[in-house]
Amino acid sequence: MESRLRSLLSIGVILLLIGLYPAAFPRHLNLGISIVLFGALALAWDIVGGWAGQLSLGHAAFIGLGAYVMTLLLLNTGLAPWWGFLVALATAVGIALIWGWITFRLRGPYFTLSTIAVAEILRLVAVNWRQVTGGAQGLFIYDMPPFLGLDLFDRWVEFYLALGLLAIALLIVWWLSWSRFGYALQAIREDEDAAMAMGINPTRYKLAAFAISGGLTAAGGVLYAIFLSFFEPYGVLEMELSIELALMAIIGGTGTLYGPLLGAVLLEGAGDWLRITLGEANLLVYGLLMILIIRFAPTGVMGTARTLLRRQRRWLGVGAPARR
Amino acid sequence: MVEGVISLVQSLVNGLLTGGIYAMVGIGLSLVFGVMRVINFAHGEFLALGMYLTLWLFRATGLDPFLAIPIVVLAGGALGWVTNRVLVGPMASGPEKGYILMTVGIGLVISNGLLLGFGAHPQSIYTSYSTATFQLAGVSFSLPLTLSFAITVVVIAALYGMLNRTELGRAIRATAQNPAAAELQGIDTQRVRNAVFAIGVALASLAGVLLLPVLYVIPTVGSVFTRKAFVVTVLGGMGNVLGAIGGGLLLGVAESLGATYLSSGYRDAFGLIAFLLVLLLRPAGLFGRSQA
Repeated sequence: MESRLRSLLSIGVILLLIGLYPAAFPRHLNLGISIVLFGALALAWDIVGGWAGQLSLGHAAFIGLGAYVMTLLLLNTGLAPWWGFLVALATAVGIALIWGWITFRLRGPYFTLSTIAVAEILRLVAVNWRQVTGGAQGLFIYDMPPFLGLDLFDRWVEFYLALGLLAIALLIVWWLSWSRFGYALQAIREDEDAAMAMGINPTRYKLAAFAISGGLTAAGGVLYAIFLSFFEPYGVLEMELSIELALMAIIGGTGTLYGPLLGAVLLEGAGDWLRITLGEANLLVYGLLMILIIRFAPTGVMGTARTLLRRQRRWLGVGAPARR
Repeated sequence: MVEGVISLVQSLVNGLLTGGIYAMVGIGLSLVFGVMRVINFAHGEFLALGMYLTLWLFRATGLDPFLAIPIVVLAGGALGWVTNRVLVGPMASGPEKGYILMTVGIGLVISNGLLLGFGAHPQSIYTSYSTATFQLAGVSFSLPLTLSFAITVVVIAALYGMLNRTELGRAIRATAQNPAAAELQGIDTQRVRNAVFAIGVALASLAGVLLLPVLYVIPTVGSVFTRKAFVVTVLGGMGNVLGAIGGGLLLGVAESLGATYLSSGYRDAFGLIAFLLVLLLRPAGLFGRSQA
């Protein structure tokens, strides 16, 4: 109980500190928005990928879905972005339920392959259904009504909207860390058959996790579209984006409260820095870093830090002995 | 009427000829999965590497692609062995997200390395026989594709013989069936896995050589073939080497017929839907139970 409140408090402190970012670095607001937004997206991915242990490489589909639903409603019917946001959220949850219902009978690598296929089908629809989606040329948001008197094109507004999403994502994951639902997901991750024997219905829990994750990701997609104000299928629906989300969570540490956020800080920060210093070679270095981290720190930064901390405590002879 | 039949036969022939190469790509992926339970997400990138190595050899020394085969295949095999020894093998026993992202990372490094080394523009080589054809009963056969198909048949037959008749083949099949029992019989399963990964990469590079005379090559061509290889192996059953042959031919024919009779951009989507259906309804593939 006490540790639960302590971690809630730590979430509050961290959000507060991040909230100071725009005042501290007003000239690096774009980087800040990317980090906060992708932190929320990586946390959303981790609900399915980390907590429930179902490796999805198709989450870009939800980002694209959120972006397209909101933007198309805005451009075609003039529906305000916040209503479009709700429609996108509902659509994403609905699609996640159908998608999961079809593919969760597959396990392990088979499930991963199916997520790639579904996301790819959605991308092909976005590219080819030109009359509606604008095809490969993409969509351009040239005008948005003010939200509660705030200009949605303003980077400061976008930053705090992204921060709000991050807060929601952190709270959901915090809830996972102590709730029955979260424990059920972890049981499914560790051993699906054993979980079933304990009376957990894996498909139902996985579906719920996928719906929450998909809805949250689509919400991020709406903000991403507002942030970009111009996007195309190759930017918001590509597998590279799905890989990036998974990678952030894994580099930071899956199934942890702060791992995915940390991963987003590292990858977005490193990505930005690499782009500036290395130019064309940045993706090569990015790939090399990815290989090295997965090879030598497979539990991510959080897991590695925890192991090191435990080892140090053992040397010092304090703290509880490592549980084995 | 006759013209219609000829054009149908023509597109079937074209499909079968490319399908043979797809089969070879798929067999490499399927063999690795059968023995290691690892889906190699960089499989197509190894193919791209084979293509660019051939291209470079042709530009630098004028070496004909078909004569470059031994060099490229040996280089691919060596690269596969080292890659598995150092990078993939140690991840294979852990959770699947580890090796999946490892192979994804390897793919990223290869495709971006190629981008830096060769540039993003499409390249091709022109040989005297690139567009050569011969006629048989009104149907024209592309000379390089037919030659490639013949090589594919020989290689697949040799691989099949190796798996069923040699000591290494026995060790590979034993490791696929039960690694612990294989080890108890004195099989060095780590070496077997290295060998299998080496064979997989060698087959991918060989497919790259065979495709070069008939295809433009760009650094991202690998991801296209990774996806094709997934489709081939899922159609044939993951880990099922013989099934991959059927899957490859089927994909080749389906693509060729699709190109002739469906001109829409949704063609790839139909392929993916078929892929999903097979994955969901017949996870062991179209051709029966999965086996290595």
